[in-house]
Amino acid sequence: MKKELAVLVAVLVSACGGDARVTSNDPFCQRVLPTVEAFLGQARAANPVPNDERYGGTVVMGGIGELRGGMNPVAPIDHSAIQHHQFVNLMTLIDYDENFDARPYLAESWDVSEDQSEITFHLRRDVVWHDGEQTDAHDVAFTYRTVMNPAVGFGNPAYWDHYDKSAEGIEVIDDFTVRMRLRPHAEFLDPWRSVAILPEHLLGDVPAQELAEHPFGTQCPVGNGPFVFDSHSPSERWVFVANPAFPQGLGGRPFYDRYIFRVIPDQTALLTELMTESIDAYITVRPNQAQQIIDNPNVDFLNFRFRNFVMVAWNARRPQLADPRVRRAITMATNREEIVQAIQGGYAVVANSSVPPFHWAYRGFGAEDMAYNAASAAALLDEAGWIDRDGDGVRENADGLPLAVSIKYNTGNQERQDIAEILQAQLGGVGIRVTPEVVDFGALLGQISDPDSRDFDGVVMGWVPEFKLDDMDLFHSARTNEPNAWTGTDNPEIDRLLEALSFSVDRDETARLWAEYEVVLNEEHPFTFFYFPDRLTGVNKRVRGVHMDARGEWTNLKDWYLDPERR
Amino acid sequence: MVKYLLYRLVAAVPLVLGISTIIFFVMSAAPGDMVDIMIRPGMTAEVAEQLRANHGLGQPIVVRYVRWMVDTLRGDFGYSVLHGRPVLDIIRSHLPRTLILSLTALAVAFFSGIVLGTIQAIRQYSWLDSGLSVVLLFFYSMPSFWLAYMLILTFSLFARNVWEWPMWFPAAGMLGTDHEGLSFVARVADRMRFMVLPTLSLSLVLTAGIARYMRGSMLEVVRQDFVRTARAKGLPERAVVFKHALRNALLPVITLLGLYIPVLFSGTVIIEKVFAWPGMGTLLIQAIEARDYMLVMGASFFFALMVIVGNLIADVLYAVVDPRIRYE
Repeated sequence: MKKELAVLVAVLVSACGGDARVTSNDPFCQRVLPTVEAFLGQARAANPVPNDERYGGTVVMGGIGELRGGMNPVAPIDHSAIQHHQFVNLMTLIDYDENFDARPYLAESWDVSEDQSEITFHLRRDVVWHDGEQTDAHDVAFTYRTVMNPAVGFGNPAYWDHYDKSAEGIEVIDDFTVRMRLRPHAEFLDPWRSVAILPEHLLGDVPAQELAEHPFGTQCPVGNGPFVFDSHSPSERWVFVANPAFPQGLGGRPFYDRYIFRVIPDQTALLTELMTESIDAYITVRPNQAQQIIDNPNVDFLNFRFRNFVMVAWNARRPQLADPRVRRAITMATNREEIVQAIQGGYAVVANSSVPPFHWAYRGFGAEDMAYNAASAAALLDEAGWIDRDGDGVRENADGLPLAVSIKYNTGNQERQDIAEILQAQLGGVGIRVTPEVVDFGALLGQISDPDSRDFDGVVMGWVPEFKLDDMDLFHSARTNEPNAWTGTDNPEIDRLLEALSFSVDRDETARLWAEYEVVLNEEHPFTFFYFPDRLTGVNKRVRGVHMDARGEWTNLKDWYLDPERR
Repeated sequence: MVKYLLYRLVAAVPLVLGISTIIFFVMSAAPGDMVDIMIRPGMTAEVAEQLRANHGLGQPIVVRYVRWMVDTLRGDFGYSVLHGRPVLDIIRSHLPRTLILSLTALAVAFFSGIVLGTIQAIRQYSWLDSGLSVVLLFFYSMPSFWLAYMLILTFSLFARNVWEWPMWFPAAGMLGTDHEGLSFVARVADRMRFMVLPTLSLSLVLTAGIARYMRGSMLEVVRQDFVRTARAKGLPERAVVFKHALRNALLPVITLLGLYIPVLFSGTVIIEKVFAWPGMGTLLIQAIEARDYMLVMGASFFFALMVIVGNLIADVLYAVVDPRIRYE
């Protein structure tokens, strides 16, 4: 008995001491991983670490969820994962600078034909995949055809609205030059900022339907970016190492040796890990945790304006919400400034349209017109014929239909629950009865996105526009049967302006159209826009050179370095 | 005995498949599917349909069920969309993590529960007995997630940042940053450091229960005739307590094992989340939220298996401890 126990303990202990790395036994990975290993060996020998005290160390970031789909740009869309494609493991053709203007990245330069119907990218000649193969124009053409192939199921087809999806859409001029055909638009370059280029020599013969689930994504990614994939332990961590062969012209090898992304699915645990200096950065801090981070002498608190906004979408198919005046009155009766203070601790700016504050088209529309004013809201409801006829505190229309709405939000989302409950209190004051209703996220998306169902009155949701703003999905009447047409908006003026925006090339003209659109949208009022929340991050002071903005938390990850004293 | 074991294992097969079948239909009946979860700005109905087709969601539920059943019986658990890996790969990485945590917690709980219970019984009505009773009751009546947060606050955050103790324990995860580069001994130590707080949160509550049982059982046994005989033979008190009384008093406590294993697994679901311990509990919750059908099925299959095997082990242990019990 004692012997068996000793054996058991020995087995347990050796299990504990074992290598934590999960190596893939997939045949593709078995073939690919040794080539990456060999490349790293050669690249390290050929590019010795520069003699500078900034080099060395490990940076650890903590995030709330797994990087869904891993390093595969055609897999399901996850914001943290996309940033890892853009800034960590892979490369995009272009990149944005601090002013959100395009600058060269994988593409060294580009020229646009006079009529803006063709764009020619000239690629860098010094970018290699992490198995040593050259990154060239064929990879770009392969990526172009892949993302536009319907069988792949690429998650955001709206990216390609302006590109020619036919076989003539892309043409390889020579190994480092590609030409694409498109329809002119003010921000046609934007997709190439976020969709990373795929390696054709590895994925070229994979059937389109299987690409999203290919082991390339999570088991053996082969990128060409500043960090080389090292290992992935599911639900636990991703480990990357510095790419010694990253082009000198783009900054060369990153300063630190290893970058680790840790999955920590609990915000209290994330905060504790940041406070005990077990992680260097905590992404998406909750506003009520901000003060603790500010008070900690070892940690910097960063906040920046991002692209996403929080709103309540109103189902205009419902009789009590069909009149735009009712929807507008709801917004006016809601003290959104107070909500920003109460829920977001002031780390947000009140929204009145989908144009984010950092965007060049932003003009601060509606700040005065739509400010909190319960008296005007009540007057507007009276005018629309909703009057409390039976004295029960709830307004009715002429047919006796009470002005009662349910507002749905998803389980476990405190912020959205707070919004629904504050709305209940504030709208009650003007005679609108609100019932907050909590629904599981999957079920909720089914209820609001299914064109045959649309089972909701109001729903608290978030939305992340691209830098290339586009509200087609949300409000154009031709898209009524698409999943994101929650509100059922059918307004010819909105349709006209959205179409004009999709053809507008000049920035000034586009900004003017957005301003016009905002006025019409506000009249129609399909959403009660709440706010653009700031993105909050805590970063250990030992990490230097950190810059974060609307491009994302990982924007300049490759330029960070560790204080040599505190490595 | 072997025959009995085989019989139990064979009987477990329809049980596991039955549980999985129920879960399959419940999951399919839940509103929303995995493609709904993937809906993002820019998504179109066409793409959603394509994704449903790529993931085999287009077929009627009966067809999907039969396919799933055939694949499962062949040992193919399918592909997890959430993790981008085969389900079996995911289980292979997550299951050992949960097992190591829950088995350690179980061992700690039983060991300390038995020791404390015995001490209380042989020192009945002493200040030690009453003191331990109060302390154990305190932990027994505490929700384990709250205990977990308090442990983090005390032994991680305050221990390191406020009181600056020489020793503090990590609050989340299961491996240190430099784990791969460490020596064998250092790697074991690294793992253990990360296990301390989650193990404590899981086991303290159980310990209290086991100690109560042990105390009662021990008190009953020491009053019996064979113990009096042992004392009358002139055996030293240690031999009386540990050789004669303890073995018999352990019997009812061993039955607790079978009872506690399912409790423990559901306990790990919460504790894993609090400590960011990437085990089966967290996995299952995330899979359900993402409507990752294959992963839900695979994970619950193994959960069911663990519970059944746990109960089986408890039955076997029962026979080991009590020679009078023989399974045929």
